[in-house]
Amino acid sequence: MKRREGGFDPHTLAGAYALDAIDDEGERRRFERHLAGCAECAQETATLGETVARLGAAVVAEPPPGLRERVLAEIEQVRQLPPTVPPAPLARRVWRVTWRPWLAAVSVTAALAVVAGLGVTTVQARQELEQARRVGQQIAAVLSADDARAVTAPAAVSSAGSGRGRGMLVLSRSQGALVFWAAGLGDPPAGRVYQLWQLAPGRITSAGLLASSGSGGTVPVLSTIRADAEQVGVTVEPAGGSRQPSSTPLLLVDMPVA
Amino acid sequence: MGARDRSPVGEDRPGGSPPGLEESLQAVGKGDRGAFERVYEVLAPRVFGLVLRVLRDRAHSEEVAQEVLVEVWRSAARFEPDKGSALAWVLTIAHRRAIDRVRAAQAGTDREERAARLEPHRFFDEVSELVVGRLEGERLRRCLNNLTELQRESVTFAYYGGYSYREVAELVKAPLGTVKTRMRDGLIRLRDCLGVDR
Repeated sequence: MKRREGGFDPHTLAGAYALDAIDDEGERRRFERHLAGCAECAQETATLGETVARLGAAVVAEPPPGLRERVLAEIEQVRQLPPTVPPAPLARRVWRVTWRPWLAAVSVTAALAVVAGLGVTTVQARQELEQARRVGQQIAAVLSADDARAVTAPAAVSSAGSGRGRGMLVLSRSQGALVFWAAGLGDPPAGRVYQLWQLAPGRITSAGLLASSGSGGTVPVLSTIRADAEQVGVTVEPAGGSRQPSSTPLLLVDMPVA
Repeated sequence: MGARDRSPVGEDRPGGSPPGLEESLQAVGKGDRGAFERVYEVLAPRVFGLVLRVLRDRAHSEEVAQEVLVEVWRSAARFEPDKGSALAWVLTIAHRRAIDRVRAAQAGTDREERAARLEPHRFFDEVSELVVGRLEGERLRRCLNNLTELQRESVTFAYYGGYSYREVAELVKAPLGTVKTRMRDGLIRLRDCLGVDR
Protein backbone atom coordinates (compact mmCIF):
# COMPACT_ATOMS: atom_id res chain seq x y z
CA MET A 1 0.00 0.00 0.00
CA LYS A 2 2.06 2.88 -1.10
CA ARG A 3 -0.85 5.30 -1.27
CA ARG A 4 -3.18 6.31 1.49
CA GLU A 5 -6.79 7.18 0.93
CA GLY A 6 -6.11 10.87 0.63
CA GLY A 7 -3.42 10.30 -1.99
CA PHE A 8 -4.08 10.26 -5.68
CA ASP A 9 -3.31 7.03 -7.43
CA PRO A 10 -4.95 7.48 -10.80
CA HIS A 11 -4.82 3.82 -11.77
CA THR A 12 -7.32 2.68 -9.19
CA LEU A 13 -9.83 5.25 -10.43
CA ALA A 14 -10.42 3.69 -13.85
CA GLY A 15 -13.42 1.68 -12.61
CA ALA A 16 -15.04 4.55 -10.73
CA TYR A 17 -14.47 6.79 -13.73
CA ALA A 18 -16.09 4.37 -16.17
CA LEU A 19 -19.06 4.11 -13.80
CA ASP A 20 -19.43 7.91 -13.51
CA ALA A 21 -18.85 7.42 -9.80
CA ILE A 22 -16.35 10.24 -9.27
CA ASP A 23 -18.36 13.15 -7.94
CA ASP A 24 -15.37 15.37 -7.24
CA GLU A 25 -14.84 17.50 -10.33
CA GLY A 26 -11.16 18.11 -9.57
CA GLU A 27 -10.48 14.44 -9.07
CA ARG A 28 -12.19 13.60 -12.34
CA ARG A 29 -10.16 16.22 -14.21
CA ARG A 30 -6.93 14.95 -12.73
CA PHE A 31 -7.83 11.46 -13.85
CA GLU A 32 -8.60 12.71 -17.36
CA ARG A 33 -5.27 14.54 -17.50
CA HIS A 34 -3.60 11.34 -16.44
CA LEU A 35 -5.40 9.45 -19.21
CA ALA A 36 -4.15 11.92 -21.79
CA GLY A 37 -0.58 10.92 -21.00
CA CYS A 38 -1.03 7.20 -20.31
CA ALA A 39 -2.01 5.17 -23.36
CA GLU A 40 -2.34 1.98 -21.38
CA CYS A 41 -4.70 3.59 -18.88
CA ALA A 42 -6.74 5.14 -21.69
CA GLN A 43 -7.02 1.74 -23.31
CA GLU A 44 -8.11 0.11 -20.07
CA THR A 45 -10.62 2.85 -19.34
CA ALA A 46 -12.05 2.49 -22.85
CA THR A 47 -12.61 -1.25 -22.41
CA LEU A 48 -14.18 -0.66 -19.00
CA GLY A 49 -16.44 1.94 -20.62
CA GLU A 50 -17.56 -0.68 -23.14
CA THR A 51 -18.18 -3.10 -20.30
CA VAL A 52 -20.25 -0.56 -18.44
CA ALA A 53 -22.26 0.00 -21.61
CA ARG A 54 -23.25 -3.68 -21.48
CA LEU A 55 -24.74 -3.00 -18.09
CA GLY A 56 -26.58 -0.07 -19.59
CA ALA A 57 -27.78 -2.07 -22.57
CA ALA A 58 -29.31 -4.61 -20.22
CA VAL A 59 -32.10 -2.32 -19.16
CA VAL A 60 -34.86 -1.24 -21.48
CA ALA A 61 -38.17 0.40 -20.88
CA GLU A 62 -40.95 1.31 -23.26
CA PRO A 63 -40.48 5.04 -23.89
CA PRO A 64 -43.48 7.26 -23.16
CA PRO A 65 -45.76 7.72 -26.18
CA GLY A 66 -45.13 11.42 -26.83
CA LEU A 67 -41.34 11.23 -26.62
CA ARG A 68 -40.66 10.37 -30.24
CA GLU A 69 -42.67 13.31 -31.58
CA ARG A 70 -41.10 15.72 -29.11
CA VAL A 71 -37.60 14.58 -29.95
CA LEU A 72 -38.21 14.74 -33.71
CA ALA A 73 -39.74 18.20 -33.33
CA GLU A 74 -36.87 19.43 -31.19
CA ILE A 75 -34.11 18.33 -33.52
CA GLU A 76 -35.63 20.57 -36.18
CA GLN A 77 -34.48 23.47 -34.02
CA VAL A 78 -31.07 22.09 -33.14
CA ARG A 79 -27.97 22.83 -35.12
CA GLN A 80 -25.59 19.89 -35.34
CA LEU A 81 -22.04 20.17 -34.10
CA PRO A 82 -19.24 19.80 -36.62
CA PRO A 83 -16.95 16.81 -36.19
CA THR A 84 -13.91 17.31 -34.03
CA VAL A 85 -10.67 18.17 -35.87
CA PRO A 86 -10.11 15.56 -38.58
CA PRO A 87 -7.32 13.14 -37.76
CA ALA A 88 -3.92 14.07 -39.16
CA PRO A 89 -2.46 11.90 -41.90
CA LEU A 90 -0.37 9.00 -40.71
CA ALA A 91 2.99 10.57 -41.52
CA ARG A 92 2.12 13.63 -39.50
CA ARG A 93 1.00 11.52 -36.58
CA VAL A 94 4.32 9.76 -36.46
CA TRP A 95 6.01 13.09 -36.62
CA ARG A 96 3.98 14.42 -33.74
CA VAL A 97 4.49 11.38 -31.58
CA THR A 98 8.20 11.73 -32.12
CA TRP A 99 8.26 15.38 -31.27
CA ARG A 100 5.79 15.67 -28.45
CA PRO A 101 8.30 14.92 -25.71
CA TRP A 102 9.99 18.11 -26.81
CA LEU A 103 7.08 20.15 -25.53
CA ALA A 104 7.98 19.91 -21.90
CA ALA A 105 11.72 19.89 -22.47
CA VAL A 106 11.74 22.92 -24.70
CA SER A 107 9.59 25.15 -22.54
CA VAL A 108 11.48 24.22 -19.40
CA THR A 109 14.76 24.85 -21.16
CA ALA A 110 13.54 28.24 -22.26
CA ALA A 111 12.42 29.17 -18.76
CA LEU A 112 15.63 27.95 -17.15
CA ALA A 113 17.79 29.79 -19.63
CA VAL A 114 15.98 33.02 -18.95
CA VAL A 115 16.34 32.54 -15.21
CA ALA A 116 20.01 31.59 -15.48
CA GLY A 117 20.75 34.69 -17.51
CA LEU A 118 19.14 37.01 -15.00
CA GLY A 119 21.22 38.13 -12.06
CA VAL A 120 18.69 40.93 -11.57
CA THR A 121 16.27 41.98 -8.89
CA THR A 122 13.60 39.58 -7.69
CA VAL A 123 10.73 41.67 -9.00
CA GLN A 124 12.30 41.61 -12.40
CA ALA A 125 13.07 37.94 -11.96
CA ARG A 126 9.44 37.22 -11.27
CA GLN A 127 8.35 39.21 -14.28
CA GLU A 128 10.89 37.46 -16.41
CA LEU A 129 9.78 34.10 -15.12
CA GLU A 130 6.17 34.94 -15.88
CA GLN A 131 7.24 36.05 -19.31
CA ALA A 132 9.21 32.86 -19.79
CA ARG A 133 6.20 30.82 -18.72
CA ARG A 134 4.04 32.60 -21.28
CA VAL A 135 6.61 32.16 -23.98
CA GLY A 136 6.97 28.51 -22.99
CA GLN A 137 3.24 28.04 -23.38
CA GLN A 138 3.26 29.74 -26.77
CA ILE A 139 6.17 27.61 -27.88
CA ALA A 140 4.31 24.52 -26.74
CA ALA A 141 1.23 25.70 -28.65
CA VAL A 142 3.24 26.04 -31.86
CA LEU A 143 4.97 22.69 -31.45
CA SER A 144 1.73 20.87 -30.74
CA ALA A 145 -0.41 22.67 -33.31
CA ASP A 146 -2.19 20.36 -35.74
CA ASP A 147 -0.62 22.18 -38.66
CA ALA A 148 2.87 22.38 -37.17
CA ARG A 149 5.58 21.77 -39.78
CA ALA A 150 9.19 21.15 -38.97
CA VAL A 151 12.23 21.81 -41.14
CA THR A 152 15.88 21.50 -40.33
CA ALA A 153 18.81 22.89 -42.26
CA PRO A 154 22.54 22.56 -41.84
CA ALA A 155 24.68 25.61 -41.15
CA ALA A 156 26.55 26.91 -44.19
CA VAL A 157 29.90 27.10 -42.43
CA SER A 158 31.19 24.83 -39.72
CA SER A 159 31.56 26.35 -36.35
CA ALA A 160 34.87 26.24 -34.64
CA GLY A 161 35.70 22.67 -33.80
CA SER A 162 32.17 21.48 -33.06
CA GLY A 163 31.17 20.14 -36.45
CA ARG A 164 28.38 21.53 -38.54
CA GLY A 165 25.51 23.14 -36.73
CA ARG A 166 21.86 22.72 -37.56
CA GLY A 167 18.93 25.08 -37.44
CA MET A 168 15.51 23.76 -36.52
CA LEU A 169 12.34 25.55 -37.48
CA VAL A 170 8.83 24.61 -36.41
CA LEU A 171 6.09 26.73 -37.86
CA SER A 172 2.34 26.80 -37.39
CA ARG A 173 0.24 28.96 -39.69
CA SER A 174 -2.79 28.51 -37.44
CA GLN A 175 -0.79 29.88 -34.50
CA GLY A 176 0.76 32.51 -36.73
CA ALA A 177 4.11 31.83 -35.13
CA LEU A 178 7.34 29.98 -35.54
CA VAL A 179 9.84 28.51 -33.13
CA PHE A 180 13.50 28.34 -34.03
CA TRP A 181 16.50 26.92 -32.31
CA ALA A 182 19.95 25.76 -33.35
CA ALA A 183 22.23 22.96 -32.27
CA GLY A 184 25.98 22.56 -32.68
CA LEU A 185 26.65 26.14 -33.67
CA GLY A 186 29.13 26.69 -30.89
CA ASP A 187 29.27 29.91 -28.91
CA PRO A 188 29.44 33.15 -30.89
CA PRO A 189 32.76 35.01 -30.78
CA ALA A 190 33.31 37.19 -27.68
CA GLY A 191 31.16 40.35 -27.76
CA ARG A 192 28.97 38.95 -30.52
CA VAL A 193 25.53 37.31 -30.59
CA TYR A 194 23.50 35.11 -32.87
CA GLN A 195 20.51 36.92 -34.30
CA LEU A 196 17.52 35.40 -36.08
CA TRP A 197 15.91 37.05 -39.09
CA GLN A 198 12.81 36.59 -41.18
CA LEU A 199 13.44 37.17 -44.85
CA ALA A 200 10.67 38.40 -47.13
CA PRO A 201 11.30 39.59 -50.71
CA GLY A 202 12.98 42.98 -50.33
CA ARG A 203 12.61 43.06 -46.57
CA ILE A 204 14.49 41.51 -43.66
CA THR A 205 13.23 41.86 -40.11
CA SER A 206 14.76 40.75 -36.84
CA ALA A 207 13.15 37.76 -35.15
CA GLY A 208 15.16 38.14 -31.98
CA LEU A 209 18.47 37.18 -30.47
CA LEU A 210 19.36 33.55 -29.95
CA ALA A 211 20.56 32.96 -26.41
CA SER A 212 23.09 30.21 -25.90
CA SER A 213 21.75 27.05 -24.30
CA GLY A 214 25.17 26.40 -22.81
CA SER A 215 25.79 23.28 -24.88
CA GLY A 216 26.75 24.79 -28.20
CA GLY A 217 23.15 25.33 -29.21
CA THR A 218 20.59 28.03 -28.65
CA VAL A 219 17.44 28.36 -26.64
CA PRO A 220 14.22 28.23 -28.69
CA VAL A 221 12.97 31.59 -29.85
CA LEU A 222 9.34 32.34 -30.59
CA SER A 223 8.50 34.77 -33.36
CA THR A 224 5.35 35.95 -35.07
CA ILE A 225 5.34 35.01 -38.74
CA ARG A 226 5.80 38.16 -40.86
CA ALA A 227 3.77 38.65 -44.00
CA ASP A 228 5.51 37.26 -47.10
CA ALA A 229 8.39 35.82 -45.09
CA GLU A 230 9.96 32.94 -46.99
CA GLN A 231 13.03 32.06 -44.99
CA VAL A 232 14.60 32.46 -41.61
CA GLY A 233 18.32 33.04 -41.24
CA VAL A 234 20.91 33.35 -38.50
CA THR A 235 23.78 35.85 -38.52
CA VAL A 236 26.49 36.85 -36.06
CA GLU A 237 25.96 40.41 -34.87
CA PRO A 238 27.51 42.79 -32.34
CA ALA A 239 26.22 42.39 -28.77
CA GLY A 240 22.69 43.78 -28.52
CA GLY A 241 21.90 42.83 -32.08
CA SER A 242 21.50 44.87 -35.24
CA ARG A 243 18.62 46.53 -37.07
CA GLN A 244 19.65 44.84 -40.27
CA PRO A 245 22.01 41.89 -40.72
CA SER A 246 25.63 42.97 -41.01
CA SER A 247 27.09 39.64 -42.07
CA THR A 248 26.28 36.73 -44.32
CA PRO A 249 23.91 34.17 -42.78
CA LEU A 250 25.38 31.15 -41.02
CA LEU A 251 22.32 29.27 -42.03
CA LEU A 252 19.07 29.78 -43.92
CA VAL A 253 15.92 27.71 -43.55
CA ASP A 254 13.05 27.79 -46.03
CA MET A 255 9.70 28.29 -44.34
CA PRO A 256 7.18 25.61 -45.28
CA VAL A 257 4.34 27.11 -47.26
CA ALA A 258 1.20 25.40 -45.91
CA MET B 1 -42.15 -1.17 -19.21
CA GLY B 2 -39.99 -4.26 -19.16
CA ALA B 3 -38.31 -6.26 -21.89
CA ARG B 4 -39.91 -6.21 -25.32
CA ASP B 5 -39.17 -9.44 -27.07
CA ARG B 6 -40.39 -8.30 -30.48
CA SER B 7 -38.28 -5.16 -30.55
CA PRO B 8 -34.85 -5.06 -32.18
CA VAL B 9 -33.30 -4.35 -28.80
CA GLY B 10 -34.28 -7.81 -27.64
CA GLU B 11 -31.99 -9.54 -30.11
CA ASP B 12 -29.51 -12.00 -28.79
CA ARG B 13 -26.28 -10.67 -30.01
CA PRO B 14 -22.92 -11.03 -28.32
CA GLY B 15 -21.52 -7.75 -29.60
CA GLY B 16 -21.93 -4.30 -28.11
CA SER B 17 -24.11 -2.53 -30.65
CA PRO B 18 -27.13 -3.65 -32.62
CA PRO B 19 -26.26 -4.22 -36.30
CA GLY B 20 -25.96 -1.11 -38.41
CA LEU B 21 -26.04 1.30 -35.50
CA GLU B 22 -22.52 2.65 -36.18
CA GLU B 23 -23.34 3.35 -39.82
CA SER B 24 -26.71 4.91 -39.02
CA LEU B 25 -25.15 7.12 -36.38
CA GLN B 26 -22.53 8.31 -38.82
CA ALA B 27 -25.31 9.14 -41.29
CA VAL B 28 -27.05 11.09 -38.52
CA GLY B 29 -23.83 13.05 -38.14
CA LYS B 30 -24.28 14.19 -41.72
CA GLY B 31 -27.78 15.46 -41.01
CA ASP B 32 -29.72 12.41 -42.21
CA ARG B 33 -33.12 12.62 -40.48
CA GLY B 34 -34.27 9.24 -41.77
CA ALA B 35 -31.21 7.67 -40.18
CA PHE B 36 -32.02 9.48 -36.95
CA GLU B 37 -35.51 7.96 -36.92
CA ARG B 38 -34.02 4.48 -37.33
CA VAL B 39 -31.50 5.20 -34.60
CA TYR B 40 -34.30 6.49 -32.39
CA GLU B 41 -36.20 3.19 -32.60
CA VAL B 42 -33.18 1.27 -31.41
CA LEU B 43 -31.93 3.73 -28.84
CA ALA B 44 -35.01 5.22 -27.21
CA PRO B 45 -35.98 2.11 -25.17
CA ARG B 46 -32.40 1.71 -24.04
CA VAL B 47 -31.84 5.35 -23.20
CA PHE B 48 -35.16 5.65 -21.41
CA GLY B 49 -34.63 2.32 -19.65
CA LEU B 50 -31.22 3.30 -18.34
CA VAL B 51 -32.22 6.79 -17.28
CA LEU B 52 -35.32 5.45 -15.55
CA ARG B 53 -33.24 2.84 -13.76
CA VAL B 54 -30.99 5.52 -12.33
CA LEU B 55 -33.55 8.26 -11.66
CA ARG B 56 -36.60 6.14 -10.79
CA ASP B 57 -38.93 9.00 -11.55
CA ARG B 58 -40.77 8.71 -14.86
CA ALA B 59 -41.33 12.41 -15.44
CA HIS B 60 -37.69 13.30 -14.79
CA SER B 61 -36.54 10.34 -16.85
CA GLU B 62 -38.64 11.44 -19.77
CA GLU B 63 -37.05 14.89 -19.71
CA VAL B 64 -33.55 13.50 -19.46
CA ALA B 65 -34.15 10.89 -22.17
CA GLN B 66 -35.35 13.65 -24.48
CA GLU B 67 -32.21 15.69 -23.75
CA VAL B 68 -30.03 12.68 -24.44
CA LEU B 69 -31.70 11.78 -27.74
CA VAL B 70 -31.48 15.37 -28.94
CA GLU B 71 -27.83 15.37 -27.87
CA VAL B 72 -27.28 12.28 -30.02
CA TRP B 73 -28.59 14.25 -32.99
CA ARG B 74 -26.52 17.28 -32.09
CA SER B 75 -23.17 15.61 -31.62
CA ALA B 76 -23.44 12.51 -33.84
CA ALA B 77 -20.63 13.86 -36.04
CA ARG B 78 -18.35 13.58 -33.02
CA PHE B 79 -18.91 9.87 -32.61
CA GLU B 80 -15.63 8.14 -33.42
CA PRO B 81 -16.13 4.47 -34.27
CA ASP B 82 -12.50 3.60 -33.62
CA LYS B 83 -12.84 4.72 -30.02
CA GLY B 84 -15.75 2.48 -29.09
CA SER B 85 -19.15 1.18 -30.12
CA ALA B 86 -22.06 3.44 -30.96
CA LEU B 87 -24.15 1.98 -28.19
CA ALA B 88 -21.45 2.62 -25.61
CA TRP B 89 -21.15 6.20 -26.86
CA VAL B 90 -24.88 6.84 -26.50
CA LEU B 91 -25.27 5.06 -23.19
CA THR B 92 -22.31 6.96 -21.80
CA ILE B 93 -24.08 10.22 -22.64
CA ALA B 94 -27.33 8.88 -21.16
CA HIS B 95 -25.70 7.72 -17.95
CA ARG B 96 -23.79 10.96 -17.49
CA ARG B 97 -26.93 13.05 -17.99
CA ALA B 98 -28.80 10.89 -15.50
CA ILE B 99 -25.97 11.21 -12.99
CA ASP B 100 -25.84 14.97 -13.52
CA ARG B 101 -29.54 15.10 -12.70
CA VAL B 102 -29.01 12.97 -9.58
CA ARG B 103 -26.18 15.19 -8.36
CA ALA B 104 -28.01 18.42 -9.15
CA ALA B 105 -31.05 17.22 -7.25
CA GLN B 106 -28.87 15.92 -4.45
CA ALA B 107 -28.16 19.34 -2.97
CA GLY B 108 -31.85 19.91 -2.39
CA THR B 109 -32.76 16.38 -1.40
CA ASP B 110 -33.31 15.41 2.16
CA ARG B 111 -30.49 13.24 3.44
CA GLU B 112 -32.90 10.86 5.11
CA GLU B 113 -34.81 10.37 1.94
CA ARG B 114 -31.53 9.53 0.24
CA ALA B 115 -30.61 7.16 3.02
CA ALA B 116 -33.92 5.41 2.45
CA ARG B 117 -32.85 4.70 -1.10
CA LEU B 118 -29.80 2.92 0.15
CA GLU B 119 -31.18 -0.55 0.29
CA PRO B 120 -28.49 -3.11 -0.33
CA HIS B 121 -29.20 -5.90 -2.84
CA ARG B 122 -32.01 -3.98 -4.38
CA PHE B 123 -30.40 -2.82 -7.57
CA PHE B 124 -29.02 -6.11 -8.66
CA ASP B 125 -32.29 -7.93 -8.03
CA GLU B 126 -34.29 -5.39 -9.96
CA VAL B 127 -31.77 -5.29 -12.71
CA SER B 128 -31.76 -9.01 -13.15
CA GLU B 129 -35.46 -8.81 -13.90
CA LEU B 130 -34.96 -6.11 -16.44
CA VAL B 131 -32.15 -7.62 -18.42
CA VAL B 132 -33.11 -7.92 -22.05
CA GLY B 133 -32.57 -10.74 -24.48
CA ARG B 134 -32.36 -14.33 -23.44
CA LEU B 135 -28.77 -15.26 -24.17
CA GLU B 136 -27.28 -11.82 -23.66
CA GLY B 137 -29.22 -11.31 -20.44
CA GLU B 138 -28.37 -14.75 -19.16
CA ARG B 139 -24.74 -14.10 -19.88
CA LEU B 140 -24.68 -10.78 -18.06
CA ARG B 141 -26.44 -12.33 -15.12
CA ARG B 142 -23.97 -15.18 -15.02
CA CYS B 143 -21.01 -12.81 -15.30
CA LEU B 144 -22.36 -10.58 -12.55
CA ASN B 145 -22.78 -13.63 -10.35
CA ASN B 146 -19.17 -14.41 -11.08
CA LEU B 147 -18.06 -11.31 -9.17
CA THR B 148 -17.46 -11.22 -5.46
CA GLU B 149 -20.30 -9.68 -3.53
CA LEU B 150 -18.37 -6.50 -2.87
CA GLN B 151 -17.36 -6.18 -6.52
CA ARG B 152 -20.92 -6.70 -7.67
CA GLU B 153 -22.33 -4.24 -5.16
CA SER B 154 -19.71 -1.62 -5.91
CA VAL B 155 -20.36 -1.83 -9.64
CA THR B 156 -24.14 -2.05 -9.62
CA PHE B 157 -24.77 0.48 -6.86
CA ALA B 158 -22.62 2.98 -8.68
CA TYR B 159 -24.00 2.31 -12.14
CA TYR B 160 -27.66 1.59 -11.58
CA GLY B 161 -28.00 3.45 -8.33
CA GLY B 162 -26.16 6.54 -9.47
CA TYR B 163 -23.95 6.66 -6.39
CA SER B 164 -20.45 8.05 -6.25
CA TYR B 165 -17.72 5.77 -4.97
CA ARG B 166 -17.74 7.71 -1.71
CA GLU B 167 -21.45 7.03 -1.30
CA VAL B 168 -20.99 3.40 -2.22
CA ALA B 169 -18.25 3.12 0.41
CA GLU B 170 -20.64 4.49 3.00
CA LEU B 171 -23.35 2.17 1.80
CA VAL B 172 -21.35 -1.03 1.90
CA LYS B 173 -19.31 0.04 4.95
CA ALA B 174 -15.98 -0.46 3.23
CA PRO B 175 -12.95 1.85 2.99
CA LEU B 176 -12.83 4.22 0.02
CA GLY B 177 -9.70 2.66 -1.41
CA THR B 178 -11.27 -0.78 -1.29
CA VAL B 179 -14.38 0.36 -3.11
CA LYS B 180 -12.35 2.08 -5.84
CA THR B 181 -10.31 -1.06 -6.30
CA ARG B 182 -13.39 -3.33 -6.34
CA MET B 183 -14.99 -1.13 -8.99
CA ARG B 184 -11.97 -1.53 -11.16
CA ASP B 185 -11.24 -5.21 -10.67
CA GLY B 186 -14.95 -6.01 -10.75
CA LEU B 187 -15.29 -4.33 -14.13
CA ILE B 188 -12.16 -6.05 -15.40
CA ARG B 189 -13.56 -9.42 -14.40
CA LEU B 190 -16.90 -8.55 -15.95
CA ARG B 191 -15.19 -7.39 -19.13
CA ASP B 192 -13.24 -10.62 -19.46
CA CYS B 193 -16.30 -12.72 -18.70
CA LEU B 194 -18.39 -10.88 -21.30
CA GLY B 195 -15.59 -11.02 -23.84
CA VAL B 196 -15.56 -7.28 -24.42
CA ASP B 197 -12.69 -6.82 -26.81
CA ARG B 198 -12.42 -3.09 -27.11
